[in-house]
Amino acid sequence: MTSSPRLENFVAFSAQITAFNKVEIWGTGLADVYLDTIDGLVGAAVTDALLDAFAPIATLRSDAARTDRLRLEVFGSERLGPVARAIVKLWYIGVWYPLPSTWQEQFGPTARNDAFVPTPAAFVEGLLWPAIGSHPPGAKAPGYGSWRLPPNIPSF
Amino acid sequence: MASPDITSIEVLRSQLAKAIQLEHATIPPYLTALYSIRPGANTDATQILRVIVVEEMLHLTISANLLNAIGGKPDLTVKGFVPSYPATLPDGETDFTVGVGPLSPETLKAFLKIERPAMAPAGKSRHVVRKSDDHSTHLCTLPEDATLRYYSIGEFYAAIRDAIVYLDQQAKAKGETIFTGDPKRQVTSEYYYSGGGKLWPIVDPASAAKAIDLVIQQGEGKTQAIFGDSGEIAHYYRFLQLDKNRYYQQGDSPENPTGPALTTDWSAVWPIATNLKLAALPAGSELYDAAVAFNSAYRQFLALLTRAYNGEPQVLLDAVPRMFEFRNLIQQLICNPLPGGNGNAAPTYEI
Amino acid sequence: MSPFVKNPNRPDLAALQSDSDYDAIVVGSGISGAIIANELAQAGKRVLIVEAAPETDRTYEGYTEYLNHFYGQSAKDNQSPFPINPNAATPRGSELRKLDPLETNSSSYIVQSGPYVSDTVYTRVFGGTSIHWEAKTPRMLPQDFKTQTVFGQGRDWPIGYEDIETDYETAEREMGVSADVEDQKYLDLKFRDSYVFPMRGLPPSWLDEQVAQGIDNSQVELYGERYALKVRPFPQARNGIPNPAYDGGKGFEPTSAVASHQIDIGGRCQGNTNCVPICPVQAKYHSGKTLAKAFETGRVDLLSQAVASKVIIDDASGRVTGIETKVYHHVSSPAYKTVTLRARLYVIAANAIETPRLLLASGLRSKSGLVGRNLMDHAYLLNWALMPQICGTTRGTSCTSGIVDLRGGSFRRSQAAFAVDIHNDGWGWATGSPSTDLVELVDDGNKFGRDLRNAIIDRVSRQLLLAFMIEVMPSESNRVTVDPTYKDPLDNMRPVVSFAVPEYSMRGAAYARQFAKTLFARLGAEDHTHYDPSNYGFIAYQGDPYEIRGGNHLAGTHIMGSDPSTSVVDADQRSWDHDNLYLVGAGSMPTIGTANVSLTMAAIAYRSARKIIATLNH
Repeated sequence: MTSSPRLENFVAFSAQITAFNKVEIWGTGLADVYLDTIDGLVGAAVTDALLDAFAPIATLRSDAARTDRLRLEVFGSERLGPVARAIVKLWYIGVWYPLPSTWQEQFGPTARNDAFVPTPAAFVEGLLWPAIGSHPPGAKAPGYGSWRLPPNIPSF
Repeated sequence: MASPDITSIEVLRSQLAKAIQLEHATIPPYLTALYSIRPGANTDATQILRVIVVEEMLHLTISANLLNAIGGKPDLTVKGFVPSYPATLPDGETDFTVGVGPLSPETLKAFLKIERPAMAPAGKSRHVVRKSDDHSTHLCTLPEDATLRYYSIGEFYAAIRDAIVYLDQQAKAKGETIFTGDPKRQVTSEYYYSGGGKLWPIVDPASAAKAIDLVIQQGEGKTQAIFGDSGEIAHYYRFLQLDKNRYYQQGDSPENPTGPALTTDWSAVWPIATNLKLAALPAGSELYDAAVAFNSAYRQFLALLTRAYNGEPQVLLDAVPRMFEFRNLIQQLICNPLPGGNGNAAPTYEI
Repeated sequence: MSPFVKNPNRPDLAALQSDSDYDAIVVGSGISGAIIANELAQAGKRVLIVEAAPETDRTYEGYTEYLNHFYGQSAKDNQSPFPINPNAATPRGSELRKLDPLETNSSSYIVQSGPYVSDTVYTRVFGGTSIHWEAKTPRMLPQDFKTQTVFGQGRDWPIGYEDIETDYETAEREMGVSADVEDQKYLDLKFRDSYVFPMRGLPPSWLDEQVAQGIDNSQVELYGERYALKVRPFPQARNGIPNPAYDGGKGFEPTSAVASHQIDIGGRCQGNTNCVPICPVQAKYHSGKTLAKAFETGRVDLLSQAVASKVIIDDASGRVTGIETKVYHHVSSPAYKTVTLRARLYVIAANAIETPRLLLASGLRSKSGLVGRNLMDHAYLLNWALMPQICGTTRGTSCTSGIVDLRGGSFRRSQAAFAVDIHNDGWGWATGSPSTDLVELVDDGNKFGRDLRNAIIDRVSRQLLLAFMIEVMPSESNRVTVDPTYKDPLDNMRPVVSFAVPEYSMRGAAYARQFAKTLFARLGAEDHTHYDPSNYGFIAYQGDPYEIRGGNHLAGTHIMGSDPSTSVVDADQRSWDHDNLYLVGAGSMPTIGTANVSLTMAAIAYRSARKIIATLNH
């Protein structure tokens, strides 16, 4: 994967809104695929606005402060909120869920309006599974008998 | 047959400890190449590498059983057990190195050399002299003289097999045996599973010979047979399928596999750095920490294996999930770009 | 060792049509068809298998295509790995809706004529539903074979447990069952002295242990009798650790994934938690493993993309003279050629919907008139809750243990028995979790970052889903029919299903709900169960709401008996009306008790194979 400042910003944003670190975000191998997917769906201008909004927030020291500002300026934004929520869901479960029709009426239609998996690896790399110390059904099997042990839920 | 190289039980134990090191030494390169394949791509290469890694784990366990059988104590945690890659292996008159890197035609060549059936030609010494003037780890060395190496991995094992027979005969003459290990230390199939073969307790020369034969047949072979006694394809030929773009089936000649076709897309591989070291990563970065975390997990895994091979075979059942965790950790490293656009990261195996 | 698959295809239709030297034609490549084909081939007989679907998963590559297809689906219902094939369509629960009174819905492949809408499915791929099944393999209880005599309910089988006990053992060997015999001796279930299963039982999940800690040794009272409860592992046709004591100490060699080259995967379950709809490593038994052995003999040919459309009968003798079959060229086109295939003997093993569909489409209702009637399926009632503690839900095989203490007992005079599954995969079946949880937490809960990660752990890792598999007795009004109004693209009539959940089963369901509440109380679990009146499976019973789900355990539609006037096949699954025709599968089962049907279906397939071979040798 070739890195670019824009992609790095996207990875930093993704890490913040998922509570996984940047190595884990890169580690999915999907950062560039997702950025392309999002650009293709909502247009690069919206993605840029999202990343621009995050840039000053990223420099804040405390996670609580970043969360407060994200609520106000990103998740609470009519234009950026639904996109940010769709990105969280995409990272967690590998599915792009369509944006609300109200968003599309106000800011323009997205390129697709159905729930879809951008690439089969998206499901496999969903962050929901490592978050609960598990694995996606049908992939990344943890090995015979591993299920008899208590789950190893990573701290973060 | 008298074994001129291995003249005492102590030397045999130290050579078996080297066999354990050798069997393990192939795992990091194979594992890394396996996980360097991009998701969904190269299912043929993935399956071939996967089976071989699983069988190397089996061979590792068999070597530990052998050492236990003759009263030794496997220790996978000793300093230097994991080679500093690239490691050096003998291949007839010349050496070759094997490193940790992406799957590529070049790594395949090295893997083929590891697994190539090669014995010293008749009339030639099974040893070769080599000046050890570099700092890499040399495997398959003779006892007590690191500048002398076996002609091949096959010869390395043949010497061990001969020594077991010879030393046990000597012991028997005195009413003793070299098989003094506690049978409870043997790891059996109940604790470790591989499609490539069963584990059995090694308690006498016959069970020991059977074990060495399995390792030789499946892996670093000595015969030209494509299929072993159990109908299983030797590693060399498994790898050769990737070169010949076709699977072997029973009855084939080595030159001409006639099974189904296969293809490898060498570009569908993450561009990972070869023989990456921690020193190349920015200290204190998340990436550095992740690489350290992997090495630490790997160290714990080797410690678990050491316990399993020292009287607690049931620990292997808990070690298996660790192996599966490596896949996730390695894949994570492999997808991370290195700073400065120098390709992607990889596990460093600096244990 | 992984079996090698020979290429068994015989695509030359002209040659096939003029070949009159097959001993048997087997319609369907699922478990029953595979067992019959393999047994016949091992006995030196020539067999042609006719399979409606493409042979995609006969190869490892094709099987892997299913897996990638599964990963790529945004809605992962239990048919999601399998591509849509209009020429041999597969029912899908996601296509269903609730019916108005007297309404018929023909928008899905199975025409639902109500009143109850079942989301039961089967899979029309090479290997049939065995690619999709969960692979739970409990035996039926001895009492299940004589429910009419003992409880005054359902029908007695013409054979008893003791008559098929050795066939159960054979089926357990073929399917590679993992279980510990000590765990399976309960109620009246018994095993031959010294019998052990081929492989040791799969370890129970951490979730199972948490449930066991809460309820083991507690009791419930039912019709004045007390029943002690215990969380008990299920036997599973899934590769585990071979038992060295198997077969008098010879041990057992698991069969791993099927491929045309050595891959050696699937020799042991890896815990993919995806038994349904597809085991990625083929540690789960599927009929392709049996078919690989059959093809290896060189005596079994395969004709795929071939939908049997008519069983041709000689009116004078009543014997089958051929099977008219429509062979299509591609799944995307309805173009087909019709061929008539001939053999000495015919075996229809197309499942309990497709077999009667084919017979009825051929005008064969049987003298008893019972072809297509007595349709059974387990009625599932789901109950879900959040455990007080983190249980590590979503790990393990789909289900490792359950509560089976109410599979039998004198209460069966009044109400249906049930077995309870503890689902390791969480609420997914009931609610679509965890994606639905995620969407709710993000969109409604406004969670992201650390809050989200914590909330997900709290919401998913504590999930407990108890699935009650409730017995359904045979009832002639529950049935499959055909109607020329409803046809598929190959001009074959589609199955029309009319089904009502019997009162006896609903009494069991009502008790199941009460039982679940009792368990949740003992566990301190928060009950989140709710039944939605707009759901297609909704049933109001005695003023209380229920949702009944299909169990994919279809049976009864060519029912077995000892009297030709009241049954379709005899105890060997031979048609009473057509003496060279065998209808093989769960459709022959007179009752299904509280056992998933496949193991029993496999056992009776061995019984039929013996009879068929004897007949052919005669």
